[in-house]
Amino acid sequence: MVQLSLPKNSEIKKGKYFKDKTGSKNLRKVNIYRWDPSTDEGPRIDTYEVDMDNCPSKVLDILNKIKNEIDSTITYRRSCAHGVCGSCAMNIGGKNGLACTTPHAEIEGDIDIYPLPHLKVKKDLIGDLDGLYKQYQSIEPWLKNNSTKETTEIYQSKEDRAKLDGAYECIMCACCSTSCPSYWWNGDKYLGPAVLLQAYRWIIDSRDEERKARLKKVADELKLYRCHTILNCTNACPKGLNPAKAIAEIKKMLATANV
Amino acid sequence: MENRPLSPHIQIYKWHISSLVSISHRITGIINFFAITLICIWFAFMLLGESEYQTIKIFLESFLGKFILIGITWSFSFQMLSEIRHLIMDLGYGFELQTTKITGLLVIFGSIFLTILVYIFGRGVI
Repeated sequence: MVQLSLPKNSEIKKGKYFKDKTGSKNLRKVNIYRWDPSTDEGPRIDTYEVDMDNCPSKVLDILNKIKNEIDSTITYRRSCAHGVCGSCAMNIGGKNGLACTTPHAEIEGDIDIYPLPHLKVKKDLIGDLDGLYKQYQSIEPWLKNNSTKETTEIYQSKEDRAKLDGAYECIMCACCSTSCPSYWWNGDKYLGPAVLLQAYRWIIDSRDEERKARLKKVADELKLYRCHTILNCTNACPKGLNPAKAIAEIKKMLATANV
Repeated sequence: MENRPLSPHIQIYKWHISSLVSISHRITGIINFFAITLICIWFAFMLLGESEYQTIKIFLESFLGKFILIGITWSFSFQMLSEIRHLIMDLGYGFELQTTKITGLLVIFGSIFLTILVYIFGRGVI
């Protein structure tokens, strides 16, 4: 259901203020969403003054700097730092993206960092993505081919392989799905852009033999047609992919094919 | 576990042209629903005779009436252009980020342009 305000336990209060201790003249204020499950307190925004003269270029560098030098209690996920693993997806300056590939110079004014939107928060910047992973599982994201033996190679033409470009690169960081208002209001039923892009990836794979069954499975008022081309997903994707177009292609296939 | 807060969503998410056009499409859709009702009432008054028609004519010529009429013209223009944008998207075209920005702006400025155009022709300026 459409719910514009946050529930009572999620209302955000002003938190601590960490004043700069380095005496640097090039300071930036960074506002970070904090919530600690071990206390009864609600979420708060802590503000940190960060010395930008000694900070590399990405938002993740700021977070690392804060964790190493200012406040070690701050919690976030990160791993590869090169935009490949998708761990550090968060809401930066009002837009979802990977902290490791977003340059802080692109953000004007204070830098606001929140967890990915409309998720149950586990701690600080970590949201619970279990629901999304279950939905990913539901589309059965693996090759289904019954006619060839497991030991033989399945050939694919260059043209058919090219169809997967723009779909297979997805790193499942959830930036797109958690940017989608439809997914916010109907996330329990609507599959969301990330999962639908993957559904599309398997539907168009020439080696897969379950195309019709796959199409039939997503052909659902709630699972698929909750996409209203708001295009927050395509705007958010840190890999430059286009989930909105993939969803439109699935809709088109369903409108033109006999399923 | 149950007390986990929900992370902020619409309160913090940045608007861009496509999301603005999308929400406006819905709002104008609702406005148009009421607008058509108003137009039906207008026609009904016409059928009832001259004196009843005068009543609604006086209302429509008042400031509020004019505001409503211009509003309806804009809302219809917007809905129409936005719907054309959706039709093209349903065919699978126009999903590149740059294109969505341009078509979104076309819808916004086009709707204002169409509104002005209707009044230029309607008032017999040209």
